[in-house]
Amino acid sequence: MKKLSKLLLTLTFALSITTSAFAVVVASWGGAYTESQKLGYGDPTAKKLGVPIDWVDYSGGLSEIKAQKEAGAIVWDIIDVFAMDTITGCDEGLFVEFDFDKDFPAAPDGTPASKDFFTSMPSKCAVGNILYSWNYAYNSKNVKGKPKTIKDFFNTKKFPGKRAIYKSALTNLEIALAADGIKPGKGGAKIYKALESEKGIQRALDKIKKLCTDPNGGCVFWSAGAQPPELLMSGEVVMATGWNGRFFNATVGEGAPIVQVWDGQGLDYEYFVLVKGGPNESDAKKALAMMTSTEGLAGSAKYIAYAPWRKSSIDVMKKGEPWYKDGKTNMVPHMPTAPQNTKNYFLVDPLFWADNGTEIGEKWEAMKAGL
Amino acid sequence: MSSETQKILTTDGIPLEESLKKAEKKNKIKAFLLVCPLLLFLVITYVFPIGDMLFRSIDDRMVTNMLPKTYKAMEQWDGKQLPPEEVFEGFYLDYKKLVEEKTFGKLATQLNYEKNGFKSILKKLKRKITKFEEGNYKEQIMAVHKRWADVEYWRALKRRAPAYSYSKYLKGMDMYENEDGKIVQVSEDRRIHKILWVRTVEVAFFVTVFCFLMAYPIAHLLATLPMKYSNLLMICVLLPFWTSLLVRTASWMILLQQQGIVNDFFVWIGLVADDNRPEMMYNKVGTYVAMTQILLPFMVLPLYSVMKTISPSLMRAGKSLGGTPFVAFWKVYFPLTIPGIGAGCLLVFILAIGYYITPALVGGASGTLISNHIAFHMKSTLDWSFASAMGLMLLTGVLAIYWVYNKLVGVDNIKLG
Repeated sequence: MKKLSKLLLTLTFALSITTSAFAVVVASWGGAYTESQKLGYGDPTAKKLGVPIDWVDYSGGLSEIKAQKEAGAIVWDIIDVFAMDTITGCDEGLFVEFDFDKDFPAAPDGTPASKDFFTSMPSKCAVGNILYSWNYAYNSKNVKGKPKTIKDFFNTKKFPGKRAIYKSALTNLEIALAADGIKPGKGGAKIYKALESEKGIQRALDKIKKLCTDPNGGCVFWSAGAQPPELLMSGEVVMATGWNGRFFNATVGEGAPIVQVWDGQGLDYEYFVLVKGGPNESDAKKALAMMTSTEGLAGSAKYIAYAPWRKSSIDVMKKGEPWYKDGKTNMVPHMPTAPQNTKNYFLVDPLFWADNGTEIGEKWEAMKAGL
Repeated sequence: MSSETQKILTTDGIPLEESLKKAEKKNKIKAFLLVCPLLLFLVITYVFPIGDMLFRSIDDRMVTNMLPKTYKAMEQWDGKQLPPEEVFEGFYLDYKKLVEEKTFGKLATQLNYEKNGFKSILKKLKRKITKFEEGNYKEQIMAVHKRWADVEYWRALKRRAPAYSYSKYLKGMDMYENEDGKIVQVSEDRRIHKILWVRTVEVAFFVTVFCFLMAYPIAHLLATLPMKYSNLLMICVLLPFWTSLLVRTASWMILLQQQGIVNDFFVWIGLVADDNRPEMMYNKVGTYVAMTQILLPFMVLPLYSVMKTISPSLMRAGKSLGGTPFVAFWKVYFPLTIPGIGAGCLLVFILAIGYYITPALVGGASGTLISNHIAFHMKSTLDWSFASAMGLMLLTGVLAIYWVYNKLVGVDNIKLG
């Protein structure tokens, strides 16, 4: 039975293979994000390498690549994934393990790649792409006063009104503890230490529950990245957590009166992985090294407010300001990694979530069901 | 009277029975060949995937094969206290082999499904295991991380021992088999699946009811109006059907949110105060409204096609025989529409029970349904066996409803057109 279903999958994939032979196929999230990748480093790399790079959209997760692998017909070479997926995929043997300093070029000043990236990689199969932030924002028209800290997000007395938070537990527990008085410590280590125990998880869940059941507060749960700015603009909520690139687009791109608050932000990452046994593995490896070079990563920040992983890319941007594509906006202050934005932050810990995600997820859903 | 003496022969001496059979056989083969493509299609697109799912949901050979020595040693262990040294030794030998083969990651993923927290301690163990000294493995393993000294983790390991198990189905009902072999419920703050099952059925049920209540008059109107009006109306019913699902869901969000158009209108006509706008979105109300509208055509169409065939003279006859309009409707018209009702309700219910984009977007805290959870395990955790188990449970539920319907109304009565 397995054999037959494999055969069938092979047939379907064989069809799609023939259409994309010789190109390097990169699966990413689509929309403005893929656009920034394509313009920022995809097209330049393709030009240099002489191999076309095809961008296909997918909606995240590893199910597609696992199915391709089980069918024995892999069509993607490179995938843009979350940290958790690099760990799971690496463990499952779906991705190529890197020899980091050998596979990726050093910074222009000679710093080896492993030192040039902001933090180490969560797994041997991952190479950093962008850093983005889970921060919160408010609509200055609907809020009296100026929320400044993560505590203000939970302060319904001073800032009454509903809040929009992400639909699953990821990053919500962290900000709840940060707002409840736990100092994040270096990279949020203390928060994750607290979340290791049942008590810590309960404390975070109670904090969220209190916010959501507060008659002056209340929660709206968002699931798509476009929702938080939308909810703020419509006045449906007074504050919303979200991804900084989306808020940036609403403020700078569309002139909305949205103000971002960086206190207690969670820095999260996107990674590229190289698929083991992909249709064009050797070209893909070369392309990946070029795309994640100093120049390459800086390129994408021209089109979207996500920070390049490499420290040396920031220097490139600083020299080139105003870096944003409109030719008048300085990009470095909008980067989640800018010094004034990282006074109080945590690094989203993919290992913690890979380890405990399902059980915490169950508790989270049970808490939500009781709202 | 033996049959041999009575056999009727054809002109060429072959018994008539056989010759008939031969002719029949040819026809049968022809008929079979004709349905063969459909049969193959069904087998390939339906029977195989479902079979594969069923198999996946009970197949647990991977873990069993990865840890043969551990499970051999575990046979003696009753699961009450920490396992004896032999188990630790077996586990050390098995795991070391996996580390050398670089397949330990798969074990970590699998065990993490059974008990969260396994992944990190297996990774820690992997880093240390090459430096282990011979003997006293229990001490050495327990020194790696305190969770290795927690009996719960060893119990979880033991639960994955059988090559085939139904534990995924138990998990889907928030239960598990404990160390005494008794089936017990998981701790209270983690009982999520039951909530999701009940919520899913509830949403599907109410959406079906609302769809029926709204579609019945519409379908009746469509069936009785003259052609030129009914065609126009039909287009109105079908138009949303041709619009993208996400667009329709998003439009409802714009309409129903607290600062939305409907609420603005209510405030304008003075029905509600500006600072006390009712919540119609991000809760059950939003889910019901949006899903009812989206699934309405699936109810209208079968009802319409059945009502179209009911002659108007029947109602007139009912009334002329002395029934009030209501009696005539209830005794004559309504029973005739039951096949359409059955088809519509089954269709809407089955579609609604597997729905998830709309509830996820408009449902707020109560927007997670069982299908979201299946998708979560398919896409994020890659626990396909658990996703398969829940998928099959959902399928069983639908089949059960179909069976009940068959008992009550009779499947032969369904009419889609």
